[in-house]
Amino acid sequence: MGRYSEAEEWADITPIAQNDGGPNPLAAIAYTEEYSEAMGYFRAVTARNENSERVLDLTEHIISMNPAHYTIWLYRANTIFELQQTNGSDLQDDILEELQWLDNLSLKHLKNYQIWHHRQTLMTRLDRIPPTELAFLAQMFAKDAKNYHVWSYRQWLVRRFALWDTELPYTESLLAADVRNNSAWNHRWFVLFGQHVDPRSGKGLDELGHIVDEDLLDREVGYTEDKIRLAPQNQSPWNYLRGLLRKRGSLVECKAFAEEFVGDVEGEGEGCRSSHALDFYADCMAEEKEAEKAGKALELLAKRFDPIRRNYWNYRRGLLGLGAVQA
Amino acid sequence: MSLVSGPGRAQVAGGNLPNELQLAVEKHVKYIQSLDTRKDELEYWLTEHLRLNGVYWGLTALHLLGHPDALPRHETVEFVLSCQHDNGGFGPAPGHDPHMLYTVSAVQILVTVDALDELEKRGKTGREGVGRYIAQLQDRDDGSFAGDEWGETDTRFLFGALNALSLMRLLSYIDVTKAVAYVQACANFDGGYGVSPGAESHAGQIFVCVGALAIADRLDLVDKDRLGSWLSERQLNNGGLNGRPEKLEDVCYSWWVMSSLAMIGKLGWIDKDKLSKFILQCQDPELGGMADRPGDAVDVFHTVFGIAGLSLIGYPGLKPVDPIYCMPLEVVNRAVGR
Repeated sequence: MGRYSEAEEWADITPIAQNDGGPNPLAAIAYTEEYSEAMGYFRAVTARNENSERVLDLTEHIISMNPAHYTIWLYRANTIFELQQTNGSDLQDDILEELQWLDNLSLKHLKNYQIWHHRQTLMTRLDRIPPTELAFLAQMFAKDAKNYHVWSYRQWLVRRFALWDTELPYTESLLAADVRNNSAWNHRWFVLFGQHVDPRSGKGLDELGHIVDEDLLDREVGYTEDKIRLAPQNQSPWNYLRGLLRKRGSLVECKAFAEEFVGDVEGEGEGCRSSHALDFYADCMAEEKEAEKAGKALELLAKRFDPIRRNYWNYRRGLLGLGAVQA
Repeated sequence: MSLVSGPGRAQVAGGNLPNELQLAVEKHVKYIQSLDTRKDELEYWLTEHLRLNGVYWGLTALHLLGHPDALPRHETVEFVLSCQHDNGGFGPAPGHDPHMLYTVSAVQILVTVDALDELEKRGKTGREGVGRYIAQLQDRDDGSFAGDEWGETDTRFLFGALNALSLMRLLSYIDVTKAVAYVQACANFDGGYGVSPGAESHAGQIFVCVGALAIADRLDLVDKDRLGSWLSERQLNNGGLNGRPEKLEDVCYSWWVMSSLAMIGKLGWIDKDKLSKFILQCQDPELGGMADRPGDAVDVFHTVFGIAGLSLIGYPGLKPVDPIYCMPLEVVNRAVGR
């Protein structure tokens, strides 16, 4: 009673049963019949190395039941390319058709690795980015703007098709929607500073020796400060700001900015609006050899604003030659 | 080993929690033992592509719980060997293609049950064949590793390669210097590491990058204060750890964040009592197993990383875990000859 065993199209194939590996195969495996039958036919077509339209249908069926089965994906990609060679069809058209099918699947299975590798395998064969690609990724990000698979794929796509110029406004739109989107902050850095990096060179992003563009740094510092003012207790832009200033070797130019949020840092910290600002302020003070002031800020963090990390704040006090404080 | 979830469910936060939470050791042992008897469930077959990883997770958890013999050794070795291919690599189950991730799990399992000799005698290849399979997945130009012949690269595969090769004492098969340079290229402005150069920092990727540097004996390359600060920021007020800023806590990050902190000597920067309580709330004290967070269904993946996390912070009664390999410390010491 099977979808395949009853079909004339598959009459020439004898399915190959599951070998479950042990010396004592289990007698009764109540694998659902549909999946079990389809896998039997899959084993049979791979054994004879068949690449055909019906193999595409079969793999689509199995993927619909189990999208994480990576052997199926590899075989499907190979079949698409083999079929195109045999039929002499237009590769671009074949790929676009496959992408359309993939789009729907991707929107259903957000945490799947194989889907993205398959997409990348297809995209490698194209010379130009399909016009619908970025709109599709926007749909993915509408579901989860921090999806790690999608971001990794997008970075690959940006490098592959040199999409640098349009990416910066895109990160701005994402940060306008959610200023706490750490993935968008990272992507902004990638777009601005990763562009000059050859990912295959083995060199670190900061160590390429390309000249740091001072105007660009000024603009980014200003942009980041504006975003921090919207939500001061947001670690992503503070990390980003530190990354920018590390290129110049000093945090102090933004000390006054941090002071906007630290509140009564000489007293009990009344009015403090950001533990990250206090942290930043402490580093500025340490840089200026004001150990007592830095230590006071760190004490406020350990006691009041971030006590879960008091050991870390006390470590920082220790670096300044100051003793530990209790939470 | 089945990746089937449930039947247990972690305790719901705010429910009727006893004041003194205890690790339900016997229940977890029973839960892991029961996994292989659930072949009548569809989910068992849908997770076939993770089977060998599952054996590694279950076996490691049992060793850390002090019940190393709770899985039959002979069947375990037979199953691992049945997943090997002629090229030396391992698939997740018989009939599945070989891949780096399963090959690493195979080596970890064989080392844990001290069965490398059996691989030598009865495997499709011996240990050197496995080493060659792993080594040919390295890109000799940039030092990165692919997961299989299809070429997807990921710092997870690079770590896996160093992990398995060092356990077999075959690190000389690869260009370690270039692998180290690739990891450095994945370092980010916030002190963390991502899956590839430019990719966002993520606690899981930090674990593999720092682990690779630890195996290569190049932890001197890590900015430990900056990375340690970022990692300790992963702890939320409920005691749990997340993997990236503004994400939810999850038991598996207990392992990835803490093992990374342990490798750089900064484990003290998180609140261990709060974390320990959080992990214990993620267990099902009746049916065994742990979930990603309180209230969710348990699975073997979160079970091993929860237990390994507790071991790392010195929870009483557990065997010490090695922070680089996520295997029993005494096993790793024996394998690498420390």
